[in-house]
Amino acid sequence: MPTISIFKDDFESLLAGDGRRKPAVSVEQLEEWLMLVKGELKGHNSETGELRIELQDSNRPDLWCCEGIARQIRIKQQGKLKRYSFLRQKPRATQYLIVAPGLDRVRPYVAACTARGYRVTEEGLAQLIQTQEKLADIFGRKRRTVSIGLYQLAKIQFPVTYDLVKPDQAKFTPLGMETVMTLSEILMVHPKGLEHGHILEGHERVPLLHDAKGQALSFPPIINSREVGEVQVGDEDLFVEVTGTDLPMVVLTLNIFAANLADRGARIAPIETRYPYKTVLGKSVVTPQDLSKPRTIMVKTIEQALGQSLGAHEVKKALEVYGYAVSVGKNKVKAKLPPYRQDLLHAMDVVEDVAISRGYNEFLPVMPAQFTVGGLSRIEQLSDRARELMVGLGFQEIISNILGSPENYRNAMRLDGTEWGRMVEVDNAMAVTFSCLRQWMLPSLLRVEAASSRAFYPHRLFEAGEVAIPDPLHELGSRTETVLGAVLAHATAHFSEIHSCLDVLFYHLDRSYTLEPLAHPSFLEGRVGRIVSEGMPFGVIGELHPEVLERWQIGVPIVAFDVNLTQLAASK
Amino acid sequence: MDISAIIDSLHPLEIKVLTAFGASPDGVTLATEQLATATELEPSQLSMAIEWLLAKSLLSVESEAVTPVVSLTNIGEAYFEKTAPIERVLAAAREVASTGKRLTIPDLQTTEGLDPSDVSKAVGRLKKEGVLLIVQGGCIESTGRPSPSAEAMRTLLQQLHNGSHELDSFPEAHRQLIQDHAVKRGNAKEPFRVDDRVARCFALPPMGVTAADHLAKQGVTEEVSQLSPELLKDGSWRNKRFRKYTISLRAPRIGTGKKHPYREFLDTVKTKLVSMGFQEMRGSLVETEFWNMDALFMPQFHPARDIHDVYFVKEPTHATSLDEPFLSKVTKAHENGGTTGSTGWGYKFDTQRAKRLVLRSQGTAVSARTLAAAPAVPGKYFSIARCFRYDQVDATHATDFFQVEGIVLGEDINFRTLLGLLNLFAREVAQAKEVKFLPAYFPFTEPSVELHVRHPRLGWMELGGAGLLRPEVTLPLGVTVPVIAWGLGLDRMAMVALGIHDIRELFTDNLELIRTTKGIF
Repeated sequence: MPTISIFKDDFESLLAGDGRRKPAVSVEQLEEWLMLVKGELKGHNSETGELRIELQDSNRPDLWCCEGIARQIRIKQQGKLKRYSFLRQKPRATQYLIVAPGLDRVRPYVAACTARGYRVTEEGLAQLIQTQEKLADIFGRKRRTVSIGLYQLAKIQFPVTYDLVKPDQAKFTPLGMETVMTLSEILMVHPKGLEHGHILEGHERVPLLHDAKGQALSFPPIINSREVGEVQVGDEDLFVEVTGTDLPMVVLTLNIFAANLADRGARIAPIETRYPYKTVLGKSVVTPQDLSKPRTIMVKTIEQALGQSLGAHEVKKALEVYGYAVSVGKNKVKAKLPPYRQDLLHAMDVVEDVAISRGYNEFLPVMPAQFTVGGLSRIEQLSDRARELMVGLGFQEIISNILGSPENYRNAMRLDGTEWGRMVEVDNAMAVTFSCLRQWMLPSLLRVEAASSRAFYPHRLFEAGEVAIPDPLHELGSRTETVLGAVLAHATAHFSEIHSCLDVLFYHLDRSYTLEPLAHPSFLEGRVGRIVSEGMPFGVIGELHPEVLERWQIGVPIVAFDVNLTQLAASK
Repeated sequence: MDISAIIDSLHPLEIKVLTAFGASPDGVTLATEQLATATELEPSQLSMAIEWLLAKSLLSVESEAVTPVVSLTNIGEAYFEKTAPIERVLAAAREVASTGKRLTIPDLQTTEGLDPSDVSKAVGRLKKEGVLLIVQGGCIESTGRPSPSAEAMRTLLQQLHNGSHELDSFPEAHRQLIQDHAVKRGNAKEPFRVDDRVARCFALPPMGVTAADHLAKQGVTEEVSQLSPELLKDGSWRNKRFRKYTISLRAPRIGTGKKHPYREFLDTVKTKLVSMGFQEMRGSLVETEFWNMDALFMPQFHPARDIHDVYFVKEPTHATSLDEPFLSKVTKAHENGGTTGSTGWGYKFDTQRAKRLVLRSQGTAVSARTLAAAPAVPGKYFSIARCFRYDQVDATHATDFFQVEGIVLGEDINFRTLLGLLNLFAREVAQAKEVKFLPAYFPFTEPSVELHVRHPRLGWMELGGAGLLRPEVTLPLGVTVPVIAWGLGLDRMAMVALGIHDIRELFTDNLELIRTTKGIF
């Protein structure tokens, strides 16, 4: 989840709230407070005051910024969240936003507000931009579901229209460019167009935000106009807009921005958006808007989950200092999230907030007391037994990646086009060296052989581990089975040597077996056998084909076996 | 060194040489040949024993005589079998004399196939003896006289074929011929070889005399190096002395059968978990998105489900079916919460997406399967599951790795018992007494905890994450009691304990490293 950069000075002023004196915050103190926001301090530059903080909770985008972190800590210190007055305010009659028909099929939702009276500082601007990026990138899934625009309010004449236009019909100078470009040109040439253009793929007409004068504000979700949509240090009045595909997410994002700017001292004024189509919030939507609904939770539910009796008032206190609005009923509480949060899916979410608010270390750990019997799976027991025997036979255990390359698992084993060469392959491999799952064990051991010609001989290696065997009859298309592979490599390695090892292994695993002649391309003809027990095949044993050794650049003969332990375990 | 220590250190070969000097060894000198006769040792063994004794100053060289000895080289043996160049030249010259043909030096080289230097040497010697004449046109003519050199050559070849002789045993003329035709630096193609034979006479210095006396008094207890079944069978070991070994030498290296150090570490963890009452679970390397993510209440639009985070299977792309009632119940939990008491994520669940096959990206998938398979209540389960992440491989990121994780079900499970369990893990797995519990986030637990411990050697480190499974996870799978889900991050602990700094080395292909890395206890 996101790692953000904040500045200590900026953090301290936000923590103090408007008009108060800044208390100095030590790094140790900060680290402790960060528990309230599931944050971890990743770095600290004492010269610039920069703090790198990683935020864990992907459902709390309000915390991915300096304002949000400071707010959560401030509430705890002040005992209660200060109400945001803009939520009760009526929008000015002149300031509204019109949505054009047809956008419901492209990018249906937009929400906006204005912020006046906050002179943008350098640190404040850096935070605004960072929040915009993190929210659009992670919460908004790379602008697909949510994207954000900030503008100089003074240059905009209301009403603003969220329009749908042909890409060749509109043009403006985008951020980062010097010249006027049409929307098609932006999609083809501008870095942001190239990066995010796919979001609008397949649409003949695309979104355009423009004001009453017809002046373009931005081309959502691609890029802002350079003339109107470039906020600079010193600007005082801002217009904030969010577009997207999910109205609650769009509104939440705007709420976060409104709260952030309000915390910095701006006066937020809501804006009404007029839709030509129905939305979950109606055809006229005023934003910012508090979408959170109070939820009634039995105190007992919270106490049972936490393993601690608290009483309704303790719960109320804990939740209030965490930003909730709470009222207490008989054996229950009615809890409501602050407007910048939308992550209350279940009562358990409230339970966690009670615990975080009180502090995890306030809870006394108790051992689970109920008795249970431990044990290993049957296959693990068999595998452990086989491993013990292999160690006793003088073999060194190996442990390998399961994800590997077709070259190693199939081609170098001369298994191209054979039944033994079938494997589970990956569709979106990053590199061909990690693009398929091993279907047997010997290539994993040959990997070690190929790299270890300078380690003194003889080499006796084994690995017991999982492989994936393609199986069209299985619902997952493959079976995961545990296989034991062993190789013996030295100048005079001989079939009978590995055969003796197999013999001991099967004797002590209490299985009888026979070897049946087999034509297997990885082995020398006439020196390879299928291991058969009670009519069932369990693996192969043989002397590796010289061409296989050549492909692996191995300079000594190798005898080997590969035994399927899962099938062996199931056979008895 | 005290004499008995010296005696004890003697090799049987050395004893043979010392005792060859007889009962009163003082003043006795013996030549190499005499020693060979007396000890009945092979020349190589004898010279080994002599060198050892000289090094120990138990033997000294009394005198040293150098004698040149002549022997035949391989070429000489060939000359003996066939003819020497001088004989060939002479025979050729005599033959042309009877047929009247002309014979030149180049003819000798081509027709007789002789080396130019051999030809000129032979012609020169024969001309000097008056056996050949060089006439006009460079033709060679025989005078008919006998050649002493050719005859001497034949005599020498015959004599030396039977064995080497001292150079001085030959008359002067022969010695000259030998010197002319002996192998020298820059000329290896000659029939004779003259070697210096060093004849040494040995005596015993005072220390040697003492040792020999000692050996004589001790009697002839034969020394053996190896106790054998025969010695045990007939009891003759009683009359033997067992040579003492130099035990301070380094032991020769041998290959060992042993477990892989990392696997051994995981085995320890496995044993601990079993001893704490955990039952092992196994799962599939290939999973559906349903069990890997949907059943864990990760919404299908969750960023961690992106193409860049999970490996998708190429063929087949989708599972043939998903089990009911789990599919319907999980679908409802995602869409509107169903009967879980949740609001759900509020989106349209895509069943086809749920069937998409991926490489298991988290061990919790195994837990989800267990929850759906009527687990025991109370119950504790664990798995050490291989998982796959779509990550650039580097020193801290592996593409496949083990996750140690599991679940605990029970009526008594709550936030405090969760902390109690984590305390137990800290103590048992990391031997840590100090712990810190930090709020954390996992998509499938609420509340979620991160466990930090102060490891006795490693200091503060994150040991694992845990939480109470969300009802949206447990209820659709048919579990009505609270469930802890936990996971331990043990790779870093294993790496530090094994002294490696690169996560890729946990699966190294370097046999020497695997053989020499010590296990962890």
